Amino acid sequence: MVNVFAVPVFFICFRECLETSIIVSVLLAFLKQTLGPERDPVIYKKLVRQVWLGVVAGLAVCIIIGAGMIGAFYGIGTDTFAKTEAIWEGVFGLVASIIISIMGAALLRISKLQDKWRVKIAQAIESKDKVEGVAGSRFSRWAKKYAMFLLPFITVLREGLEAVVFIGGVGLGLPASSFPLAVLCGLGAGALIGYLIYKGGNAASLQIFLIISTCFLYLVAAGLFSKAVWFFEANAWNKIVGGDAAEVGAGAGSYDIRQSVWHVNCCSPNLNGGGGWGVFNSLFGWQNSATLGSVLSYNLYWLVVIVAFLAMRYNEQTGHWPFVKAKNPGSETSSQQGGVSETCVEGKSHGDEVLSANVREIHK
Amino acid sequence: MAISLSNFLIPSILFLATGLFTEAATVTYDFDVSWVHANPDGAFVRPVIGINGQWPIPTITATKGDRVIVNVKNSLGNETTSLHFHGLFQNGTTHMDGPASVTQCGIPPGSSFTYDFMVEQPGTYWYHSHTRGQYPDGLRGPLIIHDPDSPYKDQYDEEIILTFEDWYHDMMNNLLAKFISVSNPTGAEPVPQSALWNSTQNISIPVQPGKTYMFRMVNMAAFSAPYVWFEGHTMRVVEVDGIYTEPAEANMLYMTAAQRYSVLITMNNDTSSNFAFVASMDQDLFDQVPEGLNSNVTGWLVYDNTKELPTPAFVDEFDPFDDYTLVPQDGMSLLDEVDYSITFDMKMDNLGDGANYAFFNDITYVRPKVPTLYTALTTGSSATNPAVYGVNTNSFVLNKNDVVEIILNNDDPGKHPFHLHGHEFQVAFRSDEEAGAYVNNVTMPQVPMRRDTVLVRPNGNIVLRFRANNPGIWLFHCHIEWHVASGLVATMVEAPLDLQQNLKIPEDHYQACRDGNIPIEGNAAGNTVDLLDLRGANVSPDPLPAGFTTKGIVALVFSCLSAFLGVAVIAWYGAAPIGKAQKGSS
Repeated sequence: MVNVFAVPVFFICFRECLETSIIVSVLLAFLKQTLGPERDPVIYKKLVRQVWLGVVAGLAVCIIIGAGMIGAFYGIGTDTFAKTEAIWEGVFGLVASIIISIMGAALLRISKLQDKWRVKIAQAIESKDKVEGVAGSRFSRWAKKYAMFLLPFITVLREGLEAVVFIGGVGLGLPASSFPLAVLCGLGAGALIGYLIYKGGNAASLQIFLIISTCFLYLVAAGLFSKAVWFFEANAWNKIVGGDAAEVGAGAGSYDIRQSVWHVNCCSPNLNGGGGWGVFNSLFGWQNSATLGSVLSYNLYWLVVIVAFLAMRYNEQTGHWPFVKAKNPGSETSSQQGGVSETCVEGKSHGDEVLSANVREIHK
Repeated sequence: MAISLSNFLIPSILFLATGLFTEAATVTYDFDVSWVHANPDGAFVRPVIGINGQWPIPTITATKGDRVIVNVKNSLGNETTSLHFHGLFQNGTTHMDGPASVTQCGIPPGSSFTYDFMVEQPGTYWYHSHTRGQYPDGLRGPLIIHDPDSPYKDQYDEEIILTFEDWYHDMMNNLLAKFISVSNPTGAEPVPQSALWNSTQNISIPVQPGKTYMFRMVNMAAFSAPYVWFEGHTMRVVEVDGIYTEPAEANMLYMTAAQRYSVLITMNNDTSSNFAFVASMDQDLFDQVPEGLNSNVTGWLVYDNTKELPTPAFVDEFDPFDDYTLVPQDGMSLLDEVDYSITFDMKMDNLGDGANYAFFNDITYVRPKVPTLYTALTTGSSATNPAVYGVNTNSFVLNKNDVVEIILNNDDPGKHPFHLHGHEFQVAFRSDEEAGAYVNNVTMPQVPMRRDTVLVRPNGNIVLRFRANNPGIWLFHCHIEWHVASGLVATMVEAPLDLQQNLKIPEDHYQACRDGNIPIEGNAAGNTVDLLDLRGANVSPDPLPAGFTTKGIVALVFSCLSAFLGVAVIAWYGAAPIGKAQKGSS
């Protein structure tokens, strides 16, 4: 199971694909509203084709780039990482956990993307009226003509490359065989949700779906974080006993009794592929041999996540971070408020704020 | 070389001759045990335990019927010590057997102690420290009892003693600390740095063509078992562990730690070349063979010292002689009516401190506070109750003259040499490798081999029988010194009431206890009032916690709680509408 389905990879693909399909759906909806098949069917058809062309072109480019990167990685990296020493597994787990934590929060606010993109499209059309310099005018005229191509193209490219980088980061320690199914499922699920949004499905149940997905994502990240610490400790233990302690199986000697919080001589996620315990491990970070470090880090991770979400909610409510004096809206700075996830989400909400202001302007 | 060799080439004919015409003599040795420096493998100078400022230590020689007195003074300064005379029955003198905390108190630094016993058994023996893991530091030497009535005395011209030793560059105290440690959970035994013949390497033994020599070979190793062969010569085994055997031809022997073989070798009739003899340590015993380890040690039978010493030929397969086929020369038949059968299931496992220990029937040996002999002497009629000796001495009380059978099932993939103090035993059965536990349907030899140290094969079993005709406290243990330290030891308490009647402990033995603040009365815990109250006795570490302890359950509950709480916060955040602040700003 673990070897054929990488849960983090699924969520990354799901998230990126969802974002892309929301944008595409917004574009299509926009075209339908403004032009509509009944008003100007020729131009409408042409523009719709442009959108899909943009999607396909973007997808093609990022598949090529992604395939190249993954190919290069496994070509060069297999030897380096084939015998994934515990230390590498730990580093990869840590990187994956941080990536998931940062992008996870954005999934909950993904419905806001629709607003964001309506603004972007409106901007693109509005700018027609603006006077451009001579040098820029030819490019901007071209860009405007093909806006319905460029927007989805760049979006797909951006999200796709983001996905490639994230998958690369998350998947460093995973076997190559665990990718394809997870990627396909992620893309499929993302496209399906995007389609539902386009069709104007039940927004509430969609939100519930997103919440559940995000919760899973954080469970995975918490497990990865704890596992990373566990691997660092396993590495230290291997050094002490002078060999791969896992070689002695799951019994006595495979773990450091001094660090042990619990140990059961079964249910190891690392032996013989792990079976069901491997799934349990990748979803929730289960260890048959829990250490002080792995238990503490698991709880600590949740503490940080809880605090971060509370702070984000506080920020949404009051416009400033807890224990920070309220500043003029729009002049907020990032990067001072500690945690990585907070910083990132702050940046996003900051952007949204500006955009929603723009939306109001347009609606006037 | 020549000097050290001369120690071992004492013309034994002289002894044989004198033995014939003199009455039983008293042989006295004064041993001042102290640290000296030595470099036997030419690779590393280290402190070793010497006697009277010398190392290698002297050979104890006596003649059957002699009284041997060894006056030991411990001048080590930092370690207690004791001497065990390996293979001697010590009939009537169990208190002279030597294991510290069993038949005596360890001799503390500065104290003196006298061993005084009769030797009635001819043959090849050795003496060594029997205090925690000490003898590989150098306190080990041959002990030869000559026999004026040897059935083979006319068949050889000269005797040559060959001792085999494995050699560590590090001190035993350091090695033991690393061995029994949380950082060695698999119980991997330290691997020696080199092998030695007669406490050195590359020995030359001058021989004369056509003569027959009796090589008395002693494996004094801490751990290693060598394959031994003489190029161009055949051995005739005539004695094992002090028991004369019918002559048996052998090209190659396998000697476990503490085993002895006397072999007759007739020299070739021409002097055209010299011949190598080799001891090659069995690498199966080593968990990991370190790179660059030379597991061989070579010596030469030198017919002509102007000729070259040939490099031994490469041997690609070891096919040693099977000692189970030996027949004792006295023809003693199998003890077939067993009065008391003891089964030992041995295994290696980890205890709660994370270190690896060895077990007989789930008990790992821990030395008692009161030496077991003194407990037997001071507990009156309770001395027949094994409980007074403490759980961790793994004591069995034997009735006098019972035929005792020990069935040993080796649930470990290693080879182990088992030794019984105070007795020679019949090897009634020995299984092949991987035979599993003993099942009672085997054919036993009519005249089984007897010896005092026997190999049990990996995951195999052995059946040993002996008559309990020697009152005393006798250890039964694996003679791999690492496994003695990790507890592969049981105690035979043989006819304790008989001991109470007949045994008188010399004052200097008690003085050693007083010098070391060791109690000499009562049960294993030193309790003289309630003999069955063993609170305070030395015990092994607790077993490894199995599965979830309170700590584990609390940790798991907390982890689940924080995960639920985290998920709840995420859900709450996700379900919340966009905040006022953001709406307000738009």
